[in-house]
Amino acid sequence: MAETFRIARAAHLEALEDFRAFIKVHCAGKNGINDEVLYDLQLAVDEACTNIITHGYNDMDPGSIILDLEFARDQVLITITDFGHSFEPGNAPTPDIHAPIEERKESGFGIFFIQQSVDHMDYKVTEDGNKLILTKILK
Amino acid sequence: MKTEVKHENSVTVVSVSESVDAMTAADLTKTINDQISDGHVNLVIDLAGVVFMSSAGLRTLLGAVKESRGAGGDLRIVSSQAGVDKVLKMSGFHTIAKVFTSAADAVASFSS
Repeated sequence: MAETFRIARAAHLEALEDFRAFIKVHCAGKNGINDEVLYDLQLAVDEACTNIITHGYNDMDPGSIILDLEFARDQVLITITDFGHSFEPGNAPTPDIHAPIEERKESGFGIFFIQQSVDHMDYKVTEDGNKLILTKILK
Repeated sequence: MKTEVKHENSVTVVSVSESVDAMTAADLTKTINDQISDGHVNLVIDLAGVVFMSSAGLRTLLGAVKESRGAGGDLRIVSSQAGVDKVLKMSGFHTIAKVFTSAADAVASFSS
């Protein structure tokens, strides 16, 4: 039986630390979650919430971000819900990690890091908000 | 996030601890840029005490490498935390700046 946990915060950068701490607290002692998996989950959540705070709620009063964390037998499912502008993460350009420094762009790593940190990333715009669904398979 | 700045001969070591995220990265950028503005262009950014770094921290480091080299110096990194190291490797940071596992080695590299 899956275990689920929820945290909701106003979309301010101060909340990033709360989201990471929430992940850490609930992952402690879980089978299949070592330090590397924990960092991957924290990084994916941090990057996703940063995008929502800085882009999703851009030019709007900051609304809320709701994070649902679900532990199943062999995977962790994270659903991040917001009510700001929607964005399609699949359209984000992949940064060139081999470019020389003169040609390096300093931004654009957020979505790339999410993709590198989890196994699946889905995005849905629903009547109940924008939902980013991240799945991490536990080995 | 906390930072501590020390000067060792011609090298400035900025030791960073706790988390470098979108909330705190701007403070690190300012700390580094203030050093470069004061003529301290050879920099070691010691991330050994950093428990979490996101792409916001990476953006600060990429900008700082450009700033220090543009001012005639260089910027080198100390990374010994697995998570921070993974972020650096995922972004290909190791191909554009030297990364060391100890501050002493990073400082000494400016003399060799």
